[in-house]
Amino acid sequence: MSESGHPTRELHPEDHHEENGHSAIPYLVVWILLLFFTVLTYLTGKQHLGTWALPIALAIACTKSALVAVIFMHLKDSSGSTRLVFGTSLVFVALLLFFTVADVATRFRPSTPAGAPFGTERSQPEGLLEHELPE
Amino acid sequence: MSHEAEAGLPPGILGHHFSSLARQNEAARLGMWLFLATEILLFAGLFTGYAVYRFQFPEAFAECSRHLELTLGTVNTVVLITSSLTVALAIHFARTNRPRAAAACLVITILFALAFLGIKAVEYTAHFHEKSLPGKYYAFEEVKIPGAAMFFSLYFLMTGLHALHVIAGMIVLGFNCWHTLHGRYSSRYYTGLELGGMYWHLVDMVWIFLYPLLYLI
Repeated sequence: MSESGHPTRELHPEDHHEENGHSAIPYLVVWILLLFFTVLTYLTGKQHLGTWALPIALAIACTKSALVAVIFMHLKDSSGSTRLVFGTSLVFVALLLFFTVADVATRFRPSTPAGAPFGTERSQPEGLLEHELPE
Repeated sequence: MSHEAEAGLPPGILGHHFSSLARQNEAARLGMWLFLATEILLFAGLFTGYAVYRFQFPEAFAECSRHLELTLGTVNTVVLITSSLTVALAIHFARTNRPRAAAACLVITILFALAFLGIKAVEYTAHFHEKSLPGKYYAFEEVKIPGAAMFFSLYFLMTGLHALHVIAGMIVLGFNCWHTLHGRYSSRYYTGLELGGMYWHLVDMVWIFLYPLLYLI
């Protein structure tokens, strides 16, 4: 790079990129899909599907977020380094959630908050603190 | 200054330490994604807290969730999704050299943001009246089981932090709108506008998760 001394620099070919051919149709398609998934999460959420409610809700939310990230935030046109940053943040979110929930799920009664009705009896060792067990 | 003039750019856009605008744009996008990664991890802390307490108090969380205004939450979801569309369209109009349409889209986005905050204020007012408040201020008559106060602590922390991001996003988009009207963004350069839009999309993404986790248990 021998740019020092030159008052003007070579401009990258992409600097002159004209974008009049850019289309807004993908944005409208994504918007309609996002509305569709919102209705879907509303309808499935109102059913209170028990065990499946949370996985379904999260799957829909992840799909919606992926649409926003890939199309609205232009991740599909991004370089590998930006994708790597986004992907890495998701990996760390998954690590944080997984190990924290795994910890809480395998605790025994004295280490859970007062009144917690779940996750206690299951891992309760036999004969320990029986007077504290709920009816 | 001269290389900017040669590229047809307004002054003050291309930093002297970048050999080309394309490289500067790439660095700016990478920097923005790094910042958004820290934002994702900031919210992830709250989502993890939510996961822990929902695991421990499933009945209380489900019961409290049913006392939120589902209709208002759903309307707010549609408002934010549509505001994400108008931001994406603003960038589209800027890069196809239609700055007035771009600025109009940004104004509409800011109005959607105001509508979102207005609806949230209506919900918060109701919570204050029925005393479904965090921690020791919790005195909600309809749900009196352990964990209910924790749900509302998390509800206020998560929606409150999100609302702060909505306000920050409105300020960013306001600057973007001003710059768009003053000819800063065009097909040659729209990265500043794109980064502001990315921030707004992140705000939308966080709400996409908050909506089912808070309103639809």
